[in-house]
Amino acid sequence: MDSIVLDASLYTVKAIAILDNDGERVVARYYDDTYPTTKEQKEFEKNLFNKTHRANAEIIMLEGMTCVYRSSVDLYFYVMGSFNENELVLVSVLNAFYDAVSMMLRKNVEKRSLMESLDAVMLAMDEIVDGGVILEADSSAIVQRVAMKIDDVPITEQTVAQVLQTAKDQLKWSLLK
Amino acid sequence: MQYLRRDKKDEEEGLSNPFQNLDKGQVLQEARVFNETPINVRKCIHILTKILYLINQGTHIGTSEGTETFFAMTKLFQSKDLMLRRMVYLAIKELANIAEDVIIVTSSLTKDMTGKEDMFRASAIRALCRITDNTMLQGIERYLKQAVVDKNPSVSSAALVSSLHLLKPNFDVVKRWVNEAQEAVSSDNTMVQYHALGLLYHIKQSDRLAVSKLIAKHSKHSLRSPYAVCMLIRIATKYLDEEPEVAESPLYDFLENCLRHKSEMVIYEAARAIVNLKNLKSKDLCPAISVLQLFLSSPRPTLRFAAVRTLNKVAMTQPMSVTTCNLDLENLITDVNRSIATLAITTLLKTGNESSVER
Repeated sequence: MDSIVLDASLYTVKAIAILDNDGERVVARYYDDTYPTTKEQKEFEKNLFNKTHRANAEIIMLEGMTCVYRSSVDLYFYVMGSFNENELVLVSVLNAFYDAVSMMLRKNVEKRSLMESLDAVMLAMDEIVDGGVILEADSSAIVQRVAMKIDDVPITEQTVAQVLQTAKDQLKWSLLK
Repeated sequence: MQYLRRDKKDEEEGLSNPFQNLDKGQVLQEARVFNETPINVRKCIHILTKILYLINQGTHIGTSEGTETFFAMTKLFQSKDLMLRRMVYLAIKELANIAEDVIIVTSSLTKDMTGKEDMFRASAIRALCRITDNTMLQGIERYLKQAVVDKNPSVSSAALVSSLHLLKPNFDVVKRWVNEAQEAVSSDNTMVQYHALGLLYHIKQSDRLAVSKLIAKHSKHSLRSPYAVCMLIRIATKYLDEEPEVAESPLYDFLENCLRHKSEMVIYEAARAIVNLKNLKSKDLCPAISVLQLFLSSPRPTLRFAAVRTLNKVAMTQPMSVTTCNLDLENLITDVNRSIATLAITTLLKTGNESSVER
């Protein structure tokens, strides 16, 4: 057994990622050089997805790392840390990440709506972890810092064409479903 | 019919992911829009998102294309739109390693970090510290020191975390900010406190006397942030591990007190620290073991996992101390999380006797 006394460090998070239900990367961010190239990262993600997408077990040890995860409709959220990191700290980051995204997407945590607000999701990721250091772990503070305009142009100021377009989109979607 | 179905599937794919099949060349072409006046905010945000998405997917962007895009992007500083500016900061950080001469945005970023708009300041600091080098750091040192003690928590945190990133290559500069960091530890904001304590420790790490003072000071006046307490527990454990008589030390009392903290994160960190101390007698392990035993029956998989993993380690060296948990461990053998079940079984193999094996 290696030395068990841990180095105290602010660098806690090795990576965070969102994968879709094919195990493909939606967004991912690595904070150290465990996986230096995209190829190695994507291999790791495939492996991670295969091990986690059926068992909803919340935590797994993989390739010497602790990975905590949770899923929603067609998305999987992951936070990775060193194998001797405090698991509860990692879970707190995961929950902040998930809750922030959920708030921004108004509870529609699914791939389609996430892609529509990809800019905000990327900003949120940037507000949660900075270079491996947990920057903020309170989901409402994160959403506030992202400052996404939740409501677009108020309906009274929209042009007729815009209103028609929105109506058309909505109709199309209700038909497709 | 079959065709129709496939078309629909394709269409759904396309709709669910507007960023699919993006062509790098085309996206970088589109980035020319950045040069237009007036700035079309929505369009520019969308293009920046596409660029960031491409980089995130691992698309290779060459130095010259990266530099060209970067320079086009600097035009966007003319816009005051919040979201657009934030995307620009993000893109600066992403392109910092790809493009050349990124320091041309230094003055724009310095202006933003000292400006009135709070929403800009924190992210501007983080972007600026990413592109800065040793010689430029002297120039912005004054602003960074001020930012560390800023009353806006996001600004203060941004400055502290950026200082930490700068610490390795610029130790002699950053170590001069100790007083500001010290002040920030007493912040009401939990994250600021955590970052400040972390930075202080990273600066003082090699000075054993300074570390002992740091621990003594903060273990008495309770820190508000659970993250900061976890950090302090680790600092204390590392320090304690070099002491011969652990149980006598007041630091051991601090660890034991943390077992009664209201945050589970801290309780677990303390329990784990205690069982890992090498100079501790087995009777001193009891309070930590009983806390971990409670976690074993938690409905949350992560807590069960954390506890059983720690107990498994203890069982390797001191199996007798773990026997009290045997009943709870047996319940975990059928746990839905396979890792938990495996860890429970291997722990029992070390602690169990014949009667428990039969069951």
